[in-house]
Amino acid sequence: MIIIDRLCYCSKLRYVNAGEKSAFTVLTLAACILSRSCAVALFVLAATGVLTVYKGGLPLFRYLKLMSMPAAFLLLGTAAIFINISKVPLGAFAFSAGSYYITGSFQGLRQGAELILTALAGISCLYFLSLSTPVTDILTVLKRLHVPALILELMLLIYRYIFVMLKLAEDITVSQHARLGNRNLAASRKSFAAMVSSIFILSIRRSGQLYDALESRCYNGTLRVLPEDHPAKASEVFCIAVFELFLYLAVIFLKLSGGMP
Amino acid sequence: MKLSEDHNIDREILLEAERLFYTYEGESTPALNGLSLTIKRGKKIACMGANGSGKSTFFLCCNGIYTPSSGSLYLSGRPVGRTKKDLLMLRRKVGIVFQDPDRQLFAASVRQEISFGPLNLGFSEEETRRRVDAVMEELGITAYAHKPVHALSGGQKKLVSIADILVMEPELIILDEPAAALDPFYTEMVHQITRRITERGITVMMATHDVNYAYEWADEIILFDEGRILRQGHPAGLFSDHALLKKTHLTPPMLLTVFHQLQSRNLIREKSPAPRNMEELKSRLTSPPDTQEQNGFPASPPDTQEQNSCLAQQEELSI
Repeated sequence: MIIIDRLCYCSKLRYVNAGEKSAFTVLTLAACILSRSCAVALFVLAATGVLTVYKGGLPLFRYLKLMSMPAAFLLLGTAAIFINISKVPLGAFAFSAGSYYITGSFQGLRQGAELILTALAGISCLYFLSLSTPVTDILTVLKRLHVPALILELMLLIYRYIFVMLKLAEDITVSQHARLGNRNLAASRKSFAAMVSSIFILSIRRSGQLYDALESRCYNGTLRVLPEDHPAKASEVFCIAVFELFLYLAVIFLKLSGGMP
Repeated sequence: MKLSEDHNIDREILLEAERLFYTYEGESTPALNGLSLTIKRGKKIACMGANGSGKSTFFLCCNGIYTPSSGSLYLSGRPVGRTKKDLLMLRRKVGIVFQDPDRQLFAASVRQEISFGPLNLGFSEEETRRRVDAVMEELGITAYAHKPVHALSGGQKKLVSIADILVMEPELIILDEPAAALDPFYTEMVHQITRRITERGITVMMATHDVNYAYEWADEIILFDEGRILRQGHPAGLFSDHALLKKTHLTPPMLLTVFHQLQSRNLIREKSPAPRNMEELKSRLTSPPDTQEQNGFPASPPDTQEQNSCLAQQEELSI
């Protein structure tokens, strides 16, 4: 999470209008989910990959590493669809294990592949957004969409304080280690509990202090800050529109022609 | 005649506290114990005293964050009440830069962080943007306008927290130990910024434990002790009072000690006032009889000799 945050501030697409990027993400994500087809998913994977790596300037290795994490989860999660245990061998593959077979059908294989690819494509869309758009910009977009101010302020404060609290946790952990707080399992369990409880207390104190500091700058109930705005470019909007149009036409075509999703 | 005099006094005094009492919830000893003081316009004021002597509590009272249980506060001669309007006025005129930037900075990006104050003061987005840009330019932090606050170093965070307050253009800026936990580079930078702030006519009140800096910088020292003012006065006089210093666990500034030692050995021109910085001290040294004097300064080779003897004296002192 921290690494994603750091990377998004270095992205070459950072100053592209956040509305454009969000619209692209949401529409493409919806197309993936609606179509559930390998072809669309592969196409989306390629498109977001090019955008994030080539246009955004993220090292390919980093991107693949980031993608591999959810991919591992997906593989484990879909194992149940791929693999059956049955007394009769199914079409795709079969290994005998005693009187049973560890086996899989073509149907199951395709279903699993579709699921994995669709999910990966969806994740790649979200990665595209989070690797190119800082949280502040996303908040600006949400404000445009009239999300209640209370929720946005909470998001802002939570985002900021994740880092403050993490730093605190890190400092406490270091100081515990310096005093052999992790010398065995029992000690480290105890240290961890102490760290969590002291962070809880500290965060309550911090919130009080923050409130004081905000009040001293004439806080009146709403956290108003300048919106981070980068104007939308007509050419970019046009490209996104064409891309989405093509994508949705493909989705409709596949739905109509195949009957098979 | 009398009237105009009163008027003058009113104009000169920016903030006045009269017998302030404040006790934290659950504490038995009061944090402020009948504290009274006056802050004059345009002064550089150093607040000193042990931890827990009431400096920070007083600062938060100056800003209307804490309400004293009794006593009153006057801003430019007018009493400050607890109405929303009065508090807003107080917070507009008095700004606090907190000691720990992480306690103050809440926004995700530097520019947004600095824009919070002016927007609260009711400026338009246009005007706010202009002010924020101007302050960032002035403090040399434009380069990280779009950076997230958590990606900044401690020194950079400090500059942002100063910008936070400066952008609101208060009449009094309170710096709570601004150089705490800063490296020499950022310490010097903060000192430079402080200098520029005062040159603009903004009154600065700074809590510090650095006697040497306070001695050189401040027009006035305020000594806090157990929720009261022990002494408020000119640095040279205050720091020459050894009984007072002992009581507050402060050491005299090095420059003053050296000056007194040189004076007792007749190496200083007679009746010269205490120097505020090294340059002034050098100009007050008597020249050795065998060297020619140029414009009040000894010629350059003896100058180094002079310094050496100075150092020798210092060493002797420390032994």
